[in-house]
Amino acid sequence: MMKWTLFTPELYYVAVASVFFLCSLEKKADPRRLYRWAVILAGVGLAVTVACARMEGFLFFDSYKVDLFSQVFKIFLALGMFFVTMVCSELYGIEPRKHAEFYFLLSICTLAMMMLVSAVELLTIYIALELSSYSLYLLVPMRHRADEYVETGIKYFMVGATASALMIFGMSYLFGITHTTYVADIIRKLPEVLNQPAAVVGLLLALGGFFFKQALFPFHIWAPDVYQGAANQVTTYIATASKMAAAAMVIRFVGMSTGQSEVFIQVLVALSILSMTFGNLVAIVQKDIKRLLAYSSIAHAGYMLIGILCMTQRGYSSAVYYALAYLVMNFACFMVIIKVAPDGHNLQIKELAGLHKRSPLLAMTLMLALFGLAGIPPTLGFTGKFLVFAAALEKGYLMLVIIGMINATISLYYYLIVIKAAYLLEPVREYGPVRVDPWTRVMSAALVIAMVYVGIFPDRFVALAEAAVSVLP
Amino acid sequence: MTAMEFAQFPILSAILFSTLLALLVILFIPDDRPKLVKQVSLGFAAVGLALSLYVYFAYDPHKGGLQFVERVLWVKSLGIYYFLAADGINVPMILLTAVVLFTGVLTMWELDKRVKEYFALTYLLVAGVYGVFMSMDLFFIFVWYDVSLFPMYPLIAIWGSTRKEYGAMKLTLYLLAGSALILPGILYLWAVAGGTTFDLFELQRLGFDVQVQRIAFVMLYLGFGILAGVWPFHTWSPVGHVAAPTAVSMIHAGVLMKLGAYGILRVGMTLCPEGLVYWADLMALLATIGIVYGAFVGLAQTDLKYVIGYSSVSHMGIVGLGLSTLTVDGINGAVFQMFSHGIMTALFFSAVGYIYDKTHTKMIPELGGLSKTMPKASAFFILAAFCGIGVPCMSSFWAELLVFISAVKTYPLRGILAVSGLVVSALFMLRVVQKTFYGEKNPKWEHIPDVPLFLASPRIILVGILIFYGLFPRLILDIIQSAVVPFVNSL
Repeated sequence: MMKWTLFTPELYYVAVASVFFLCSLEKKADPRRLYRWAVILAGVGLAVTVACARMEGFLFFDSYKVDLFSQVFKIFLALGMFFVTMVCSELYGIEPRKHAEFYFLLSICTLAMMMLVSAVELLTIYIALELSSYSLYLLVPMRHRADEYVETGIKYFMVGATASALMIFGMSYLFGITHTTYVADIIRKLPEVLNQPAAVVGLLLALGGFFFKQALFPFHIWAPDVYQGAANQVTTYIATASKMAAAAMVIRFVGMSTGQSEVFIQVLVALSILSMTFGNLVAIVQKDIKRLLAYSSIAHAGYMLIGILCMTQRGYSSAVYYALAYLVMNFACFMVIIKVAPDGHNLQIKELAGLHKRSPLLAMTLMLALFGLAGIPPTLGFTGKFLVFAAALEKGYLMLVIIGMINATISLYYYLIVIKAAYLLEPVREYGPVRVDPWTRVMSAALVIAMVYVGIFPDRFVALAEAAVSVLP
Repeated sequence: MTAMEFAQFPILSAILFSTLLALLVILFIPDDRPKLVKQVSLGFAAVGLALSLYVYFAYDPHKGGLQFVERVLWVKSLGIYYFLAADGINVPMILLTAVVLFTGVLTMWELDKRVKEYFALTYLLVAGVYGVFMSMDLFFIFVWYDVSLFPMYPLIAIWGSTRKEYGAMKLTLYLLAGSALILPGILYLWAVAGGTTFDLFELQRLGFDVQVQRIAFVMLYLGFGILAGVWPFHTWSPVGHVAAPTAVSMIHAGVLMKLGAYGILRVGMTLCPEGLVYWADLMALLATIGIVYGAFVGLAQTDLKYVIGYSSVSHMGIVGLGLSTLTVDGINGAVFQMFSHGIMTALFFSAVGYIYDKTHTKMIPELGGLSKTMPKASAFFILAAFCGIGVPCMSSFWAELLVFISAVKTYPLRGILAVSGLVVSALFMLRVVQKTFYGEKNPKWEHIPDVPLFLASPRIILVGILIFYGLFPRLILDIIQSAVVPFVNSL
């Protein structure tokens, strides 16, 4: 019975999902009331997850491992969920009568991803991944006037299903070679057989499912359309929380190879370079800010992979730190987008014109977040890149780091275009005033402080990331 | 308070954080009090200047080495230290920064557009500059370096003129491309040394293989070299100078470009002396081309700020040439040149700024005969031009003399070429002076009042410094030498 306490965060989110499921049965649920409940429940969820951070143990015939690594990522996920519900006060992208379902699917998705980061058995992993994917397949086309964005939902589903198929195919290879579905056993047996092409292919295909979630090249094609087509809040969730789970799983799966296979590393290096370069180059020409962030997320998946492919403790911990940094910075961007486009339309970059007058606080939040994404100190984005590149150089990947830095320079160009719009351009027509409620003020200020504080005093967070990855096999 | 206790006071941190405090204070001043913003800025600039002067006078050149050391462990797992110290090379640089900031604030006294943001960003920029000059830890050198770069974009794009957005973007991307080489260079050295420390001097003690030094040095040289305006990576610099508002040009050409040269010296040459020996030939070549090229291109310019921009390329070439000689005199001269060129360009831009504010043009053909309508304002530019040419009794004279003597000894052909470049630069400076300030008087400018004493005060300070060190060069060379001699001996 004691064992079930290990499962507390997940159980909590099951309960939250049930609450919203019941609400969705009600005919006329008041959106304001639902929003308040969602924020409170997500906030409590974050507290519950943090409280369970130090738990350790196995569940379900050892296919479910609770350790610091999984708990840290669960905190990231709960934080992401909390962030997203916070910006749902003006959920005009989704019809009011569907709000309860929206929160229900959001909780289910968070639950699924929490299970994903704890799962250490291939089938459990697959089931958790599919559960989270299916919630997202439903969330994406939920947008108001969905017929305009019908392509989005289908595209997301098709690409997602293909990635899942590749993944389960890869997993079957891994099972075929090692005769086990337990990650710990695979790690033990894989080094002997890693010289076989089938093992490398299996591992890479299995990674495909998570690369899809991370929007890593070549599994990125859904990202721009889905970012643009989904409601702003759903995009925020995909861009923040969903990336965390993917990062955790990529770390776990790449760790399976234990750095034994040269080919495997080279493929990852190539994917990372392609992802960074492609994402950054295409982002330059974007006019829609969500599309721009979609391409930037492709690039960031590449940066994160640099840390992971080092396959050292330092590399993994840098990726964990980077994931946290990315969560905060990306959320800050999306929060500004949602507040500047309260009716839920797709924000164009030029609509940010004169933001520094309309709302200085939001403009500053956006600027710091974008500088963070570009890797300019003293933000946590810089520290993240610094750690990732430091880890890569310890392994001697000098060229990779230089390419990464050149990419960071390219990315600065399009981030600067957005900052220029917010700070320099005069609006061509009168845009409505940006309504910033006190709650948003507090959030903005907290994000600004967090971005700078964690950037300047990274010591404790680096130590946490290192402790988290130290439990990896 | 005894003298001993005062020596323990973290004076370098005080200088550094006074700028950040200024930034915060300015941010909390209401928008409708621009006058107060300026007064607060000037107050903090004065405090910074006073503290820098204290450092300058309290630094003991006979003892040499690192003084005013502050060292705290920052990030344990990577070996990052918050490590500030002063030695003979950065003491003049800290003073330079304080002087340029102070005079820059005075120069912008008449600014009326988004005043609060302007001074806030200026202080952020200067904080970065101080940080680079004072830090002895590679991580912090890089962090402050980047902090000093990105305020340039809004500063130029909002308050600039002449293709300002283009200039701002070009400058930012070039400089960030430079840091794209510096960061891998720094991390490479850190990783090769075992990944345990970013402390500059510990890394120096650990030492590196010749091969490692060669790779790292070229990355650091090119990366910092972009900011130092090394030919052929200089093209951002004239464009940026022209687009920037007056005081930003002053800080930028006066101080920021020095960061590049300082970075080469502090990081590149300290950690990779073997790499320096290997690449010194290339450095000397690029520097010589820069000197000659800057002078010739300057000859063809019709915009006053472009003239100064290209003369900066030429003068920074002299710094590069001095560093590449690897002799005590050469490096002494290079550091001295960094200082005096900083003061001189600040004077140049400050003088042009006044002319531009009043006439709204900086095109040489449209001006003319200004010395008759505004003799005082013209005098400052002419004095700066003399200093640029290297007239004796001006501080540049000594700096250039030292560099050229050692350059001709080390690289006879390139040294002579560089000296001839100086002759061309004399030609173009005198041509500019003649066309702008003498000759036909343009009746359009007759009504313009001459510069009042308060607005002239920054230029008076700058001229004073140029002449003072022109007459008493030993006062600064002693300090510089206290760091350079042990450095060259250790090569």
